Amino acid sequence: MSATCEYQAKDYKSDLKPIWCPGCGDFSVVQGIYRALAAIGRPPHEIAFVSGIGCSSRIPGYTTAYGFNSVHGRSLPIAQGIKLANPDLLVLAAGGDGDGFSIGGGHIAHLIRRNMDITYIVMDNQIYGLTKGQLSPTSQKGRTTCTSRYGSLEEPVNPLLYVLAYGAGFVAQASPTDLAGMAATIEEAIRYPGFAFVNIQSPCVTYGEEAQQIKGLKAISENLTALGHNPADRLAAMDLAQHYGEKLHLGVFYRNPEPAPTYDGLVRERQALLSKDAPPAENILDLFIKK
Amino acid sequence: MTTRGIDYANLSLKDALDLAVLIEEEAQERYEDFAAQMEQHRTPEAATFFRLMAQNEAKHGEELATRRSTLFGAEPKAVTREMIYDIEAPDFDAARAFMSPRQAMKAALASEVKAHAFFVAALPALKDAGVKALFEELRDEEVHHTNLVTAELAKLPPDSGLSDEDFVDEPAAQ
Repeated sequence: MSATCEYQAKDYKSDLKPIWCPGCGDFSVVQGIYRALAAIGRPPHEIAFVSGIGCSSRIPGYTTAYGFNSVHGRSLPIAQGIKLANPDLLVLAAGGDGDGFSIGGGHIAHLIRRNMDITYIVMDNQIYGLTKGQLSPTSQKGRTTCTSRYGSLEEPVNPLLYVLAYGAGFVAQASPTDLAGMAATIEEAIRYPGFAFVNIQSPCVTYGEEAQQIKGLKAISENLTALGHNPADRLAAMDLAQHYGEKLHLGVFYRNPEPAPTYDGLVRERQALLSKDAPPAENILDLFIKK
Repeated sequence: MTTRGIDYANLSLKDALDLAVLIEEEAQERYEDFAAQMEQHRTPEAATFFRLMAQNEAKHGEELATRRSTLFGAEPKAVTREMIYDIEAPDFDAARAFMSPRQAMKAALASEVKAHAFFVAALPALKDAGVKALFEELRDEEVHHTNLVTAELAKLPPDSGLSDEDFVDEPAAQ
């Protein structure tokens, strides 16, 4: 880490102007990320920010970090590749609920079990907004959209329970209803030594329902610290997470008090171990030449 | 509107001036962002209004910064941007596609009312007489701004009555 000078939020803001709909919750998320990164203090060139496809996946472009607006649902495999190639980078991944829990749903489990030091921010708006309002994996049952004229028949995915069940070491939820809390939660997630997941309820102003807008979210918000929740208690976190969709619990659900070793850390250890007996790099071709 | 870690009882005049400058800077940035959003979504009238608000906030910020440097020179700051959230800046969700000038002004009006509420709420906790006087001055300025925007609003013709649903937001290339 080479950061010795102080960074401000504006140092992480790129010149690209967001094309999100005015009023979109993602505007506040990107501000929360700027502030969290300023608090962390890593220079932008030491940060890699990967996303999938969707409205929210445009977010890396609005930061001065190295960014990759990649393939739908594939932000996590790419982020893992980056982390393995250069473990010194601070790696962030972001996307929407569809990108993370539908198209890319299979990747989360494997990132969690590997416990790579990556922070994954999901901007959960319960709709596919970029494609003009179809059901997404977190859409509530009964939700009427252009692809569910008579109401959705499916139960939504519960992102919090999903990642807790797979054993994520850090699980939190935030929302634009509390920008200060959001920035602090993102910062805490980045500082966690391992995989960290932050679900951000980010309203879609164009296709979202009234109850999912800021006013509606405020009405169901509850701060986990104020509730007296102990973030070291995984079962209590799972209990609270079951209220996803009914209540908006803000803050840290679970933080493993004894973080497990990260895959990237273990790979480094193994590389160091094996390199002791490895031939010098200049003689590496000798391994393939019969003498 | 949220604050974090502001010790009002022990706030010095230097800190209070720095805080006031940060509040104006935040509002200026938000109005600039809103103006950019309106330009992106082809709403030039609202964009022009938000640019004007950004200029006003910049002007107030510069005045306060000048006072600060006259009184305290280059003494280091003890307050940071992370202590204030949306004090005078309009809320993120106050912007909407295709805002009319009236809607834009209403968003600004709500921000001035919000800033006024912040200074009113903070006053009882202040101990320093100089800080108290500054907050009272800023509170009164917000009342003045509220009156100005209300007067401008009264001059506007009524909105067309069309809703957002009557417009299509065309995708914008980037």
